[in-house]
Amino acid sequence: MTVHHVIVGNSIAGVEAALAIRRRDADARITLVSGEHAHPFARVSLMYVLCGQLSLRDTELHGRDLYERMRFERVHGWVRRVDPTTRTLHLDDGATVGWDRLLLAVGSRARRLPGTDPDDPAVHHFVRLEDLERLDRAAVRGRSVAVVGGGLIGVEVAEALHARGLRVHFLIREPWYFPVALDGRESEVVAAHIRGHGVDVRTRCAVSGVEPVGEKRRLRLPDGPLDVDLVVAAVGVEPATGFLAGSGVAVHPQTGGVEVGDDLRSSSTPDVVAAGDCAQVAWADGSRRPEQLWYTARDQGRVAGLAMVGDEVRYRRGTWYNSAKFFDLEYTTAGWIPASHPGAQVPPSEGWTTWYQADGVRTLRVVCKDGVVKGFNALGARWDHTVWLRWIQERRALAWVLPRLAESHFHEELDRPFLAAPTATLTEGA
Amino acid sequence: MHAGLLDTYRRPVSTRGGLAVLLSLVLTAFYLLLYLPGSAYVPSFPDLLTPIAHALHLPDKWLLYGLLYSVAMVAGAVFMLRRHGNSRYHRIRTYTLLAVQIGLAFSLPLVLAVLGKPQVYLSYVWPLSYDKLFPGTLKQLPVYLALYFVVASLVVFPVLAFTKGKRFYCSWICGCGGLAETFGDPWRHLSDKSARAWRFEQVSVHTVLGLVLLTTGLMIADAAGATGDGRLHGLAEHTRSAYGFFVGALFSGVLGVGLYPLMGTRVWCRYGCPMAALLGLVQKFGRFRITVKKDMCIACGNCSTYCEMGIDVRQYAMNNLDIKRASCVGCGMCAHVCPRGVLRLETRSDAGPGAGAGEWVLDL
Repeated sequence: MTVHHVIVGNSIAGVEAALAIRRRDADARITLVSGEHAHPFARVSLMYVLCGQLSLRDTELHGRDLYERMRFERVHGWVRRVDPTTRTLHLDDGATVGWDRLLLAVGSRARRLPGTDPDDPAVHHFVRLEDLERLDRAAVRGRSVAVVGGGLIGVEVAEALHARGLRVHFLIREPWYFPVALDGRESEVVAAHIRGHGVDVRTRCAVSGVEPVGEKRRLRLPDGPLDVDLVVAAVGVEPATGFLAGSGVAVHPQTGGVEVGDDLRSSSTPDVVAAGDCAQVAWADGSRRPEQLWYTARDQGRVAGLAMVGDEVRYRRGTWYNSAKFFDLEYTTAGWIPASHPGAQVPPSEGWTTWYQADGVRTLRVVCKDGVVKGFNALGARWDHTVWLRWIQERRALAWVLPRLAESHFHEELDRPFLAAPTATLTEGA
Repeated sequence: MHAGLLDTYRRPVSTRGGLAVLLSLVLTAFYLLLYLPGSAYVPSFPDLLTPIAHALHLPDKWLLYGLLYSVAMVAGAVFMLRRHGNSRYHRIRTYTLLAVQIGLAFSLPLVLAVLGKPQVYLSYVWPLSYDKLFPGTLKQLPVYLALYFVVASLVVFPVLAFTKGKRFYCSWICGCGGLAETFGDPWRHLSDKSARAWRFEQVSVHTVLGLVLLTTGLMIADAAGATGDGRLHGLAEHTRSAYGFFVGALFSGVLGVGLYPLMGTRVWCRYGCPMAALLGLVQKFGRFRITVKKDMCIACGNCSTYCEMGIDVRQYAMNNLDIKRASCVGCGMCAHVCPRGVLRLETRSDAGPGAGAGEWVLDL
């Protein structure tokens, strides 16, 4: 008998799972259920669609013949209710879909900005395609916008709306931009770069209220009120698992992530698997929480697909690495870079050292414990993070790494390489 | 601050709208006016450009064309560098293209014309300049120039394509490429990325290469036979003028540039150029490749979108596969627009440290 695999969500985790199933089982019936876009697209490209660098079609991950080629069935609609006893999905249009194995790869939704009206047409988010379509209509040249939230989505929205000719106020609650990843020096380089584009960047700027004043919205800020035409709340995301309430599929009471084991199978419900932003997965540090990251969603999707066909699998989180772009400024990181802003959990300072070098907008920070390299953080220049990960794994000493930095260069041809210079500083503490 | 590509789809001229169609028609009309008068097939087509050239005290319409071409390239370069000038690769490459165009493709022929000598375009060699290995052409040249064209066509350019990739020519020297890389920048995203277009390209570009080889072979056979066979002579001359008109004028000129606003900038380079085909075959077995940084691709689509040769770069990057494609002109835009720094153009003979951990793939 053919097993019917049903996957809710056709973003990277869902489609990678579907491909993994197809690779293992040529006959399996595979159905993807999604109310978003018909074709899997790169969610991280939404900012490029918003500003006009890409069309939505440009962001589609595979040719439009993917469903046909891979014999995936597609159901368009939003799942409203899951009934594990009858193994049925109930969709918003009343349709039902039965499953033998179910993957929940439903991703995230935007966290709301406290104190905003959920129905306020001037308050936007930027996580899903609907968010893009709504913001696209509102993004009229000359309007003013407050982008609230000093994370990655915030800076992307700020860049895209700035490119659309809006006057952008970038409001960051923390003492500096992106403190979970950048230290004060790095963040100042980023902030100066963004300000150089003409964006109003404000740190230590928590929004304590939003109220309508005519057509505008008035934000209460520490340094006084700010009136803007629209607000984009980019204050984080949470698993879009509200529709699981009452289904019996266990979700974590605080995070909302679907409770799964290391094999990504639901800890409460047989034949249900979860992957991507909505899954309560194990992190490298041993904690369990959703990890909202493209790479891990992709890897989890592949594991989940194998779990669905019945393989004995285990999702193992590798060493952390990531990259981002702050306007024109590229960011690469690998290994463990402890957050260092005031109030963050700082590891014991004994034995920790930090090597830091800045050359204009290009910076490199190497964090060591007892002289052994633990993590790299770089702005401006391009680096091959796989070389850094290897050095970390090999427990290389800082003195061994610095003369070999060039081995991890990945800059554009003819670009001037970033080399370790005597001007770099070595300080105690991570 | 550099504008980048953020506003590409908000420029009416870049999105195949009415303005793009109009511009396409204007460019097409211009090239018809340039190529048809005096051609083998439509010789009586009205020649409007020669009088303009003479009014500007230029010896002929080709130098007027060279002037307009240079102006378009300079203006395009200003636009291009405002978008991508934060890249040293693009700055040096663009200045080189301008220097070659203004120096070798405009000033040198102009000076020679003023001195009453035959015009010579050193930056175009066989097989793009298809007659450069015709015995009849070589005989009319001074020995050192004849030697230059033979050695450049058969030795120097292929060797450079092997060691540096065909980009050394297609994106650093060539006038067709030069116009595409500067004036054509607003349309680079319009190339067809489909597998169907790729299959068509493989057939069409190698067919044109075959036609050049055939034409050149006939011309050489005709010259070797000296005054012998009149039928061979007629065939050779017919093939030569047919190739010159249909491929040289209509395909590379009229369609090649006329279709910029609708099909992107490298229609000729991709589907027709015999030089690109020949150097591409060399490149495929040479050192040039695009290295993919492992597991860092977020599949955003910028690389594929802005590949003017229609290579679906993203599929390689997503799958950690280094890229060796015959068609790649090495413009470097995929590497430049990648927001995660995943791609790097490389010519190292060994996959040494830092050369990326991707697998190799040989894909024509």
